[in-house]
Parts: sequence; structure tokens; C-alpha cells
Amino acid sequence: MSKVNPPLRAAKPGEPADAGRRSFFSWMSLAWVSFTASMLAAGTATARFMFPNVLFEPPLTFRAGRPEELQVGIVDERFKDSNQVWLVREGGGIYALSTTCTHLGCTPNWLSAEQKFKCPCHGSGFYITGINFEGPAPRPLERFAISLADDGQLVIDKGRKFQQEKGQWELPGAYLEF
Amino acid sequence: MSQLKELLTSLSPTKLGEAIQKSQIYRSVFRVGVPVSDRKRMLVMLGNVFLHLHPVKVRKSGIRLRFTWCMGGITFFLFLVLTFTGLLLMFYYRPTIEYAYVDIIDLREQVPLGIMREIHRWGAHAMVISVWLHMVRVFMTGSYKPPREFNWGVGVILLVLTLLLSFTGYLLPWDQLAMWAITVGSNMARATPFAGYEGPGANLLTLGENIPLISSTSDARFALLGGTRVGEMALLRFYVLHCVGLPLVAGFLMAVHFWRIRRDGGISGPL
Amino acid sequence: METIKDIINTLTAPEILITLATILLFVSAKYRHVFYTNTVALVLFPAMFVFMAISMFDEDFYLIVTKPDNVPIVGMLFLIPFFTWFSMREAVRNDRRTDSGTPLIEKEETADKVLTWPDLVYTELIAIVLLTVLLVGWSILIPAPLEESANPAATPNPSKAPWYFLGLQEMLVYFDPWLAGVVFPGLIIVGLMAIPYIDTNPKGNGYYTFKERSWEIMTFLFGFLILWVLLVILGTFLRGPNWNFFGPYEYWDTHKLEALVNVDLSDYFWVRLLGMGRPDNILIRESVGFLVVLGYFLIPPMVLARTIFKRFYENLGPARYHIMVFLLLCMASLPIKMVLRWLFNLKYIIGIPEFFFNI
Ligand code: HEM
Ligand code: FES
Repeated sequence: MSKVNPPLRAAKPGEPADAGRRSFFSWMSLAWVSFTASMLAAGTATARFMFPNVLFEPPLTFRAGRPEELQVGIVDERFKDSNQVWLVREGGGIYALSTTCTHLGCTPNWLSAEQKFKCPCHGSGFYITGINFEGPAPRPLERFAISLADDGQLVIDKGRKFQQEKGQWELPGAYLEF
Repeated sequence: MSQLKELLTSLSPTKLGEAIQKSQIYRSVFRVGVPVSDRKRMLVMLGNVFLHLHPVKVRKSGIRLRFTWCMGGITFFLFLVLTFTGLLLMFYYRPTIEYAYVDIIDLREQVPLGIMREIHRWGAHAMVISVWLHMVRVFMTGSYKPPREFNWGVGVILLVLTLLLSFTGYLLPWDQLAMWAITVGSNMARATPFAGYEGPGANLLTLGENIPLISSTSDARFALLGGTRVGEMALLRFYVLHCVGLPLVAGFLMAVHFWRIRRDGGISGPL
Repeated sequence: METIKDIINTLTAPEILITLATILLFVSAKYRHVFYTNTVALVLFPAMFVFMAISMFDEDFYLIVTKPDNVPIVGMLFLIPFFTWFSMREAVRNDRRTDSGTPLIEKEETADKVLTWPDLVYTELIAIVLLTVLLVGWSILIPAPLEESANPAATPNPSKAPWYFLGLQEMLVYFDPWLAGVVFPGLIIVGLMAIPYIDTNPKGNGYYTFKERSWEIMTFLFGFLILWVLLVILGTFLRGPNWNFFGPYEYWDTHKLEALVNVDLSDYFWVRLLGMGRPDNILIRESVGFLVVLGYFLIPPMVLARTIFKRFYENLGPARYHIMVFLLLCMASLPIKMVLRWLFNLKYIIGIPEFFFNI
């Protein structure tokens, strides 16, 4: 035998019998909804805690000497250790290649005899332009924004990067005419 | 002379033992006493907080080595060894780029008993193998079938935690092995769909027109490393996870795991 | 001697090694009454031991096997086959008992209940003592590895993940990081947790048996032994500089050249088959790939439900059945992609690097 709970208060004439319970439930659901919402908000805020605002890493912009110091067709490795950048000068100008393999972020080595960057981790190979041609790397090396400061020094801005597969190597800044 | 003899007999190990067992201190600590009778053997299992993980009586088939290989027990023991040796290592190790590597060298060359790090490292490797073998035995005996489905699930999470504990610990020596293993490993997080800035779908998430929501300073990898590269912050994060966060979660889940073994009717066996 | 070494070097190439191991796994299960017996073990394990011992005279083999961090894998090389063999032997014994109507080994003992103290507690104590001795001995003999201090500018060659993740790293040869490093590990965890809910076979609960659950056991063993443990071993011992393959007796030459030029499916279809250029529109270019992937996940479940998986479909109901087949297809995609790579140098089935979406 099922027993129906009596309403919390007597129904007024003309009012549905379980109105008391229904309003009770709507208060309940409001409470639960706000409880859940506040929990979610607290969770999000705590997650945000894990993303620092200030980084103790080398600055993104750095000066890289005068363009005349670079030789045509030679990969300049002076800034590989300190700033993770290769400078390459070819006939028409200069570009700054990222030393981070687009596969999983190892640092490839420049093999001048074979004229390619070869990644030791999974064997990706890149031409001197940065274009990938072998191994698992899905896309070319990235280039960083390069410009000339007033004092004639090269300025590399690692905050702005250019990706070949998005057609960004054509944009101004990806390449310094020289 | 006879007095001396009396004194000597009262000092004999047997007598001494009896006296200790009669003392109030001993009886307050070990309620049951030496488990020499079956009754006392049962009482000791019930009365001791560590032993009461076990039931008082067990089916013979369930404790045979041929059935369990003792692999779960070995895994748990290794976890205890790692907790203990890890705690000792923490007295000497400082998780900063400046000190981490030298502290590890000192642990071998300057600190007494220079094999503490070895025990910790080899124990960790052994635990990974034993937890795999434990899973194999649970599978091969069909012990995940009802009513033990949930405990299998708890076990899978424990397996993942074991691997994560090993992985976070791998960075701490701060040598080439550590640095590059973690670089390659954490770079995979970069490729997380939607949550990593080189994951599929990430460039669909933008604020307004053109501001990417997921960039190299706001994606899953960044949260893991606390920076855009494996550096000071990453070392600290891995240290905290390795020494506090993950062991706590694993310990908690092991308690659930053991509790459920008993709730599910003990080690499995044919019906 | 040199010819034997050369033969072994050739046989351990990934494509041959994985194929041979798979064949061995299935053949040994088929002839389990012969294979999983004491006689075979008494020949096999000492033979493995002698093989290792003799190989130690080879310089290249010695170098790779005695790396401190590789020692546990040498242990695993014996432990995992041993316990696989052992559980299969128990299963064969139990199956024989079922056939002849005698009760199972476990059943004979279930009626007896023994006191935990001393029976279990002392077993545990002995295990603890032995393990401690082993661990301390190991630690005294072999110092933990420590290389040069970390240097973010110089990547060692090769640079490997911790050994238990080398299976994943090996997967990276065949899949992009978002699949090999994120999606597949996630699916492995979910798939493992799903096992008790997908496998509704009530038999074989709490005792060793092969006959009553041969399908489940073979699926699990294939996944664990071949797709996980074997890949770990391969990654540890046989992958050298540039993640190239090196036989166990081969010198790790940094300059070993291997053609790694791989071709996308879109290339095969538009350029080689139709003899035109690849279309500019991404969706058209990759349409073949999308069809292949969609077809892979949609057609087999329907076909299988009517044919060999008919019983599963009826027993599990549509929801569980489709989850099971989906997980199985994901698992099968790794060996399939491997074979495609070995035979056709196939790189991507769908290749959209613009959106990091490569399969
Ligand atoms: C940190 C890791 C783990 C610890 C310390 C642990 C510990 C244990 C212990 C001591 C037992 C008692 C029986 C035995 O020794 O075999 C047990 C049973 C069990 N474990 Fe684990 N385990 C772990 C991980 C796992 C994993 C990875 C799985 C499966 C994926 C799993 C599933 C089970 C199940 C289902 C049982 C019940 C078996 C039965 O009743 O026959 N555990 N575990
Ligand atoms: S990180 Fe360069 S090939 Fe994998």
C-alpha cells in the first residue's frame, strides 16, 4: 500500500492541493542551482589559480646584432642557446627561425653538410627555410617577427610568430628585406 | 648464593618476557597478547588497526601464491617503501634549478647511506612492473566481474596514478634525461584537442573576433608547467605533485581499494 | 656468428618483430596444451637466459642492456612472459578439469577457510623480507643514473620518455601527438575501466580458464603484450639516434640515414590516382580521408552485428555493443596504421595541418 504524504498546509479553496510542495520544490531547486553555480565558480577560480600572470622567463624581445654580421647561406647559431632562435640570411633578406621542433618541441641540430635541420627526438628534417620534408613533424618551423631598430640592430620579437601553413610568411615582419 | 641464583633466573629471557607481558604498559598497547591460540589469533586481527585490513579468516584458494602472485600486496609494500625513502630524500633535496642537480649528487657522495636515492628509483620501477602484473592476474582470473567492477575501476585509476607518480619524479634530478623526457611528455599536452594551443579545435575558440582563447600561455601545457617551457616553475609544480598531491590521492584510493576488496566478499574465487 | 647476428638484426625490425610476436601469441593460444606446459617453460626460459648471456659478449648489445634505467626492462623481459605462461598453464589445467568433470583447482580449496594469522600474515612477511633484500641488493650493485645537468639548448640524441611511456612514444611514429599522446591514452583508461561492463560473460569469475573466455583473453593479451609491452621493449632496446631502428647487435650510428619520406592519402588519391593537383579547398582535398575514417567507424559495427558479432549484439544490447565495437576499432587502428605505413609509407589519412587535425 502506498501512502501519500499529506500536504504541508491545508489547500485554500481554488488552489491545487500540492501547491505548498511545489513552491517548496522550486525553492529547493533554486537553492541547488545556486549551490552548483557557486561550486562551479569556485572550481573555475581555483583552476585559474594555476595560470600564473607573471613569468620568470627571458624577455620575448631581444636585439640580435647588426645584419651585416650574418653571411649569406649560413645558419647563425649564436642565439640558439640563449633565445631559441636561428638567424638565416639568404640572397634577399633575413628571417628568424624558431629552434622548437613542431613535432614535440625538441631542439633540432643544424647539419651544414646535409643542409638540413635534423631533430634528434623522432627524426624530423627541415630545410634551411624551415619547411619540413621528412619525419613526423606535421608543419614547418615557425618564424618570429624580425625588424630593424633605429641603431641598425636586428630586433627579434618572439611574441609574434608566423606560420607557413597559414600563409603568414608573406606578411610584413616575417622577413626582413636586406 | 641462592639469592643470586634467584636473581639470575628472574633475569632470564623467559622470565623477563613474562614480566613485560604482565606489565600495564604492555597490556595497554597489545590488548590480546601473543596470538598463540586460535581465539587470540582471531582477536588480534580484529583489534589491530593495520591488520584489520584483512578479514579474520580467508579462503585457502584466495591466498595461494598461484592465485594472486601476491602482486597487489607487493605493489602496496613498494608504495610504502617509496613513501618512506621519499620522505628521507626530501630532507636533502631542494626543488630549484640552482640546487636540485647538486643535491642529487650530494645524496650519493656526501650523505651517509648513499643508496637512498637508488632504493627510491628502483623501487619506483619495480612498482610499475608489479602493478601491471597485478592487473594481468586480476584479468586472467576474471576477478573484475560482478561484484568487483567498481574495484577494477579504482584499480585502473591507481595504475594511472602510479605512472604519473613515476613521471613527475623523473624531472626532479634535473639532468638531461629528466629535462628532455618531460619536455617531450609535456609537449603532448600542447596537442590536447581544444585545451592545447596546437590541438585540433583550439583555434576555433576565440574571444570576439580575433583574440585566441587558447594560446601558449593559457593552455593545458601551461597549467602543467606553470610557464611556457620546462623551467623553475615546472620543477616546483612537479615536486609538489610528486611529494604531496599524487601520493595523497593514491593513498586515499588505496584505502577505498582495500575496503572494497572486503566489501566485495574478499579475494575472488569460483562460486 | 656474424650471420646469426645479421639475421636477428633483420628479424627485429619493427614490422617483422610485431608480426612475428602476434603470430606467436595466437598460435601458442591455439596449441596451448602443448605450449603452456612445464616442458616448454623449462626449455624456453633457460634458453632466453642463455641467449641473453651469450649476447652480452656483443659490445653494442651489452651497452644498451646494461644502461641502468634499462635494467628493469630486462627484468620485465622475463617476468611478463613468465606470468603470461603461468596463468595460461593454470587455465589449461583448469579447462582439463572442467572437461573431465573434476572440480577446479580453486574450487577444491574454497571450502577450507584458514586463519589469516598465521597463514596470510606470514606469507606477506616473507614476501616483504625477500623484496627488501632484492631492492637493497639492486641498489648497492647498480647506481641510479644521472646525466649532465639539464640544458634546454642541447637535446640528447636519442631523447626518450621514461621507459613505461615508450609504448606511447612508439605510437608517435604512426600518429600525431593529439592522438598518440592525448586521445589514445584517454581511450586506454576509459577502455580498461569499461571492461567489466562490456564483458558480460558470467563464466570465468574468480578462477583461471581459457576455454570459457578465450575471446576476452586474446583481446586483452594482444592489447597488453603486443600493443603495450612489446612496443616498450622495442622503444627501449631497438630505437636509437633520430628514433631510427637499430638491431640489437647494431652500432648506434648518429648518421644512419633512413628515408622517412611519407605520403598522405590525399596525395595518393588526387595526384597519383587521378593525375591532377591537390584541390585548394581543404574539405574537398581531404574528402577521401573523411570518407575512409567515417566508413571505418560506421560500417564495421553494422556488418559485424549481423555476422560474427551477432551473439554479442544480442547479449549486450545496442548501447554496450556499439561502445565495445568503437573501443575495439580504436585499438585496431594502431596495428592498421602500422601496416599501412610499412606497406605504403602512408603518413596521414586526413591531413589538415592548418587546424592541427591530422589522422
Ligand atoms: C597502486 C596500485 C594497486 C595496489 C596497491 C593494489 C592492491 C591490491 C591488493 C593488495 C589486492 C588483494 C589481492 C592481490 O594481492 O591480488 C588487490 C585486489 C584487486 N585489485 Fe588491486 N591494487 C592496485 C592496482 C590495481 C589495478 C591497476 C587494478 C586493475 C586494473 C586492480 C584491481 C583489483 C581488483 C579487481 C582486485 C580484487 C581481486 C580479487 O578479488 O580477486 N588493482 N589490489
Ligand atoms: S620532437 Fe622533433 S621530431 Fe619529435
